Amino acid sequence: MNSAAVKQQTQEIVVEEVFPHAPELVWKTLTTGKLITRWLMEPSGFEPVVGNRFTYQTKPAGAWDGTISCEVLEVVPNARFVYAWRGGDDANQGYGSKLDTLVTWTLTKVPGGTRLRLVHSGFAMPRNDTAFQNMGNGWRTIVPRIGAIIKEEE
Amino acid sequence: MIEAAAVTNVMRALGDPTRRAVYERIVGADEITVVELTRGSGVTQGAISQHLKSLKQAGLVVERPDGRKVFYRARPEGLAPLVDWMSYYGTFWRERFADLRNLLKEIDP
Repeated sequence: MNSAAVKQQTQEIVVEEVFPHAPELVWKTLTTGKLITRWLMEPSGFEPVVGNRFTYQTKPAGAWDGTISCEVLEVVPNARFVYAWRGGDDANQGYGSKLDTLVTWTLTKVPGGTRLRLVHSGFAMPRNDTAFQNMGNGWRTIVPRIGAIIKEEE
Repeated sequence: MIEAAAVTNVMRALGDPTRRAVYERIVGADEITVVELTRGSGVTQGAISQHLKSLKQAGLVVERPDGRKVFYRARPEGLAPLVDWMSYYGTFWRERFADLRNLLKEIDP
């Protein structure tokens, strides 16, 4: 496998934080529907079992109704939780474009708590500069967020 | 990696708060001249022109000469390299982490 080529085509987001709570509790917040609703979004049909398919409802864009389709791929209690995160439509660019990604949660017990690491991987980089063609005036709503986006990326 | 270069250019152009403010005014105005942009901006017309040049180079604005006036308007596609799924989720997950931190604190003070 040519990993260099793969790296050029996809990117990942990594967020990591140590929480002053036991891994068991952090695990519970990641894998209990009612708790997920309170910090992420309300999952529909969720069960922390390999093969389970569940969805999240997000903002639609173009031909895409905004449904994020997930599939549980790996469950290692208190340690590792992986699911597919898919959505979007080929006709969209930018927000709402085709999305076939992986969300990986890793929990590690550390002195005084739990290190929680999120890796959201498999992002295809923007393919061309004709994005926003399908967004009408929606793009203007993004402008006030630019400052925050730039801070995040740098 | 043309895409990565485009992202960098856009970020560099909008990383400057004054330039970002100029850009936001252009976005809000449909079409606007340098004179109008300078008015109430607190910086000189020369400075505004420099910012416009950078925004133009980054593909964020286009100009339309009309007689002695030049009108500037935003080019939405210019933002594309910045506002993709990745930048969206970069913000999304960081916000969710903050919510998760609060929830955990509430459950287990």
